[in-house]
Amino acid sequence: MKRKVLLWLSLALMMASLYLVFIYVPTEKEMGIIQRIFYLMVPMGWLALLAFLIVFIGSILYLVKRTSKWDTLAYCSAEIGIVFTTLTLITGSIWAKPVWGVWWTWDEPRLTSTLILWFIYLAYLIVRSFAIEESRGAVFAAIVGIVGFVDLPIVALATTLWRGMHPGPLIFQGGLAPSMLLTLLVSISAFTSLYILLLIQRVSMKNDEMELSTLKRLSS
Amino acid sequence: MENASYLLAAYTIVWAVVFGYILLLFNRQQSQQREINSLKKTLQGKKEA
Amino acid sequence: MNFWSKVLTIAWKDALSEIRTREIIFSVLVFTLLVIVIFNFAFSANQQMIELVAPGILWVTFAFAGVLSLNRSFIMEKEQACLDGLMMCPVSREVIYVGKMLASLLFMLVIEAIALPGFAFLFNLAVLSPQLIAITVSTTIGFVAVGTLFSALAVNTKAREMVLPILFFPITVPIIISAVQASKLALAGEPWTKLSPWLQIIGTFDIIFLAVSFLVFAFIIEE
Repeated sequence: MKRKVLLWLSLALMMASLYLVFIYVPTEKEMGIIQRIFYLMVPMGWLALLAFLIVFIGSILYLVKRTSKWDTLAYCSAEIGIVFTTLTLITGSIWAKPVWGVWWTWDEPRLTSTLILWFIYLAYLIVRSFAIEESRGAVFAAIVGIVGFVDLPIVALATTLWRGMHPGPLIFQGGLAPSMLLTLLVSISAFTSLYILLLIQRVSMKNDEMELSTLKRLSS
Repeated sequence: MENASYLLAAYTIVWAVVFGYILLLFNRQQSQQREINSLKKTLQGKKEA
Repeated sequence: MNFWSKVLTIAWKDALSEIRTREIIFSVLVFTLLVIVIFNFAFSANQQMIELVAPGILWVTFAFAGVLSLNRSFIMEKEQACLDGLMMCPVSREVIYVGKMLASLLFMLVIEAIALPGFAFLFNLAVLSPQLIAITVSTTIGFVAVGTLFSALAVNTKAREMVLPILFFPITVPIIISAVQASKLALAGEPWTKLSPWLQIIGTFDIIFLAVSFLVFAFIIEE
């Protein structure tokens, strides 16, 4: 029931955001039409962080309570999170090419911080699969989730300060017109609703996977 | 207007990836459900036997 | 026995084992000096170029050396089942963490104390300033704070040594950036005030991750 509601909500918000992005919002003066990527990139980046926040919370709760549902939550959020982090990097790169002429720049702190986040997600997933038993893998991954999340503000600080030494391209100058703010907020809500839907779906699938392996053991 | 192709590429990629992922999840869940149901039937059969 | 005497006992055990075998310090030291030399060839040096790349070379070298030395310290424990032995002693897990960390810190500082003058010699740079020493010590503390935690984790996985870099490098990126920038300023003779934002980042990192690792370490080595 919840899922159906969420599905229709996401669909409606997505439609609304597409309308706003392509028809409603005026074209930005300096960058032209490419600036509309902004309404895609910011939600992606936001989701990359939100998903890791859930990984962090799930990891802490798992270490404290040791019930597998928290580990499941953390893992599923990490899987979805790395997908969105990858998309953040891709959209950021597609933005960079026409605007600055390069596919990548180290000068934009949000882009480099996202790259580090991507590696932290990767470390989380790798540690799980390289553990000797599954339960240890869950504990190890939880540790990576906690340490990684705590590291993020420091990464952001260091990369921002570093950028201060090489002033260069910056993703966004100046303020937001109200129409742009509206478009941005609707886009963020649409993608957040999508994230929640995906998370619920993936968690139920993970539970199915565990039920499946139990059944397999019982029937053999 | 040449930049429009970049804009299109970005939206296309994001949507393709998101939908691809959703499709992947959906297919996997279908096959998992089928397996679960068949295993449950087998276990039922064993219990009755 | 109180906390610190237990810690020092563990640290001293590692130090003693190292003094006898000289495994870690010797091999990592040779590695460090070689890497510095190879980097020198990679960048075909005129003096200007050297001044540009020297801080980066220094810290990449120390980061790699750090990973090597951290790996060694826990692998030996695992191979000779010393870890199980340690855990049977009536010491809290946190004591093991601090003890191992201090031992690794000692090894790395010894290596750096030898490598830095070598670096000064090869690159004609004044590396023995108090600023550079402060940067080196504080960054190394950050390395071992996180590295001890991750190294204990890594030896309990299938791929062992390979896992440590995957964990270590993304997390320590901020202090590597800070160390490189601060070293660049220090080598150029800038005053402490200019270095301070970077040193603050390193210091914050150290405090936060000493605390987090201290709290979380027990989860790694319990059975």
